[in-house]
Amino acid sequence: MDFNFTQNENDFRQEIKDWLSENLSQRISNKVKKFQRLDKNDYEEFMKALSAKGWLAVNWPKEHGGTGWSNTQKHIFEEEIVKAGAPRIVPFGLNMLGPVLMEFGNEEQKKYYLPRILNCDDWWAQGYSEPGSGSDLASLKTKAVDNGDHYIVNGQKTWTTLGQFANKIFCLVKTDSNCKPQNGISFLLIDIDSHGIEVRPIITLDGEHEVNEVWLKDVKVPKENLLGEENKGWTYAKYLLTHERTGIAGVPNSKSAINHLKVIANKTYKNGIPLIQDPLFSSQIAELEIDLKAMEIFNLRAISSAESGKAPVMESSLLKIKGSIIRQKTSDLLRKAIGPQALPYISEQFDEGWNQETIGPEYAGPLAKQYFIYRKISIYGGSNEIQKNIVAKSEFRM
Amino acid sequence: MHFNLSEERKMLKESCDRLLNDHYTQYKNHHEVSSSETGFNKKFWQECSEIGMLSALISPNFNGLGGTGEDIMIVFELIGKHLVVEPFLSSGILSITSLINSKDIETSVLDEISSASKIYAFGHSEVDTRYDETYIKTKANYKNDAVFLTGQKSFVLNGDFADKIICTARFSGNDFDQNGFGLYEIDKTHCDIRSYNTIDGYRAAELKFSEIPAKELCKNSDAYNALLETLYAGAFALSAESIGAMQVCFNMTLEYLKTREQFGKPIGSFQALQHRMVDVMIEIEQAKSAVMLAAGTYEADKDTKYKNISAAKNLVGRSGKLVAEECIQLHGGIAMTWEYNLHNYAKRLIMIDHLMGDSDHHLEKFKLYSNY
Repeated sequence: MDFNFTQNENDFRQEIKDWLSENLSQRISNKVKKFQRLDKNDYEEFMKALSAKGWLAVNWPKEHGGTGWSNTQKHIFEEEIVKAGAPRIVPFGLNMLGPVLMEFGNEEQKKYYLPRILNCDDWWAQGYSEPGSGSDLASLKTKAVDNGDHYIVNGQKTWTTLGQFANKIFCLVKTDSNCKPQNGISFLLIDIDSHGIEVRPIITLDGEHEVNEVWLKDVKVPKENLLGEENKGWTYAKYLLTHERTGIAGVPNSKSAINHLKVIANKTYKNGIPLIQDPLFSSQIAELEIDLKAMEIFNLRAISSAESGKAPVMESSLLKIKGSIIRQKTSDLLRKAIGPQALPYISEQFDEGWNQETIGPEYAGPLAKQYFIYRKISIYGGSNEIQKNIVAKSEFRM
Repeated sequence: MHFNLSEERKMLKESCDRLLNDHYTQYKNHHEVSSSETGFNKKFWQECSEIGMLSALISPNFNGLGGTGEDIMIVFELIGKHLVVEPFLSSGILSITSLINSKDIETSVLDEISSASKIYAFGHSEVDTRYDETYIKTKANYKNDAVFLTGQKSFVLNGDFADKIICTARFSGNDFDQNGFGLYEIDKTHCDIRSYNTIDGYRAAELKFSEIPAKELCKNSDAYNALLETLYAGAFALSAESIGAMQVCFNMTLEYLKTREQFGKPIGSFQALQHRMVDVMIEIEQAKSAVMLAAGTYEADKDTKYKNISAAKNLVGRSGKLVAEECIQLHGGIAMTWEYNLHNYAKRLIMIDHLMGDSDHHLEKFKLYSNY
């Protein structure tokens, strides 16, 4: 056993840090740290800077313009960009579609789409979930009917994250209804500008617009936009589950959230003493910190076994579950730490340039809102219950 | 960064595991062994010594073959796996650690321990001092060049059969002072001994003594440092032991879920039970990770070392309880019987949290060492 990063890895971390301090604008990292709303340009500004440096496609092999980094390097990179207050790297094109294209796309598709993802020419959205198909994704109803050189697509997709910024969407659609649901699904690449598509906002419980519904009415999709083979879409969708999921625990995010929590607990007083010294409250923080440290090691163990070529499928599910619990508990304690300061909800505070006086400390503003929206973490990307089903099926063999 | 064992340690693990697999079961009827005169199997203890399982706990500086966090983790995980009641904790880790942290200790003393020719026990707790580190009421009385102890030590593991007992006693200050106490070696023949079995099948003793001769090992800050090292070494070893026991509980339960049928199918096909098993699995991986971190920083500076051991002991306290309770519940009625082996593991998991500081104690220590 060796818990230390190598000298090369430490140098690598320093290189990332240095680059971030010069290339991540203060304006954006301030917005991220204040939990202000990011617009399309904010995301793209950072992603284009990464792209110019050759660091955007963290998960891609070098031949396609990726970094070719090891899992450990990716982990270090992920830690540093979170620490620096960078916006998230929008994953739909890069981490979701990209690997599927490389594995199953034809040469023309690869040549056309991959560089466009890399250069931020396209903003992809994910069209998986439907109103009637959440955890039971294979029951999806959006239909693509063969109409010669194109398909006619009808249906509705939902929970389309940042779809309001997207110009493309990859969709799972039904192409055969007379078989086992999994065997009648195809994977289509669709222009959002196509006639018949409408993107409508869904306002989530925190009052924000991040996810959308996408309505498809008689949308014409050329056949060359079919990825891989017809009716094999389920295989392609599942392919992702075995790949590149070591970041799923969200260790860097939880780390920075717990640090934030400790800073706040130092500034907040209860009965005249800092909350961090209150036995009841500090014990809750300490347990969480112990859990997180253990999960960080668990995550590194998974990364290190992935490094030796073993796809950490089971570990990914366990880490997703534990990671979501830890992030939710942290947001729960953050909300509790500020007491009644959690009450005010001033939506304008989250707009760039808002400079009025806050009620209570500035950091209090987003915490209650965040607590509510973070309930999503155990629901999205395969709910925790689905993860448990996956583990039981693969590990228990019952 | 990697989490693999070196070739040497893999060999240590394999040879110890083989010995325990092949020989230990034949000696073991858990409660029969602990109810025997000695409280453990002397012949088996000798065999453990012969394959180097005791030397593995001692650093080469003291003529041993190991003594690192990784070595201790490997040995104690196996102890947990096989539910070994031999005095690995008392005559092993606790006595070894207190001795090597005392002044001017002769290597020959440790040789006696590792060769199994002498059994040592470690007595610090008193009947009402809980897990407090420096709450010591036993008195040390210095007269001329000699020192005599008066008091009582409780829950002394293998205290009835040990040749020598290392214990703490106070010669000045109030009951909680970090100064004014020492570590002493006493002879059990001078003590009034009441021995008993613990609920998890170990042997322990209450020792009472009045003005008995003792040998000073160290005192004041040396004693304080040696005591902390000893208590943390014990907490770490128990954390590793817990991992081995948890894994067995998990495996037994999984096997049972596959074979036990109700409503015409294996009960493991029910989602409610599957999901609880996954929760158990997650917590075992978490606990394992915390113990690995504590092992990896066992040689680090003391604050880091103690912080990570406290984190591990806190976590195994919590997860050990979850595993014990869930595995009993998932089994159902069969787990309530004396006959079915699960209860021995469940009891050990719970009682580990009653030794060397429970999860609350170590949460406080974690906060202390993390500068909360």
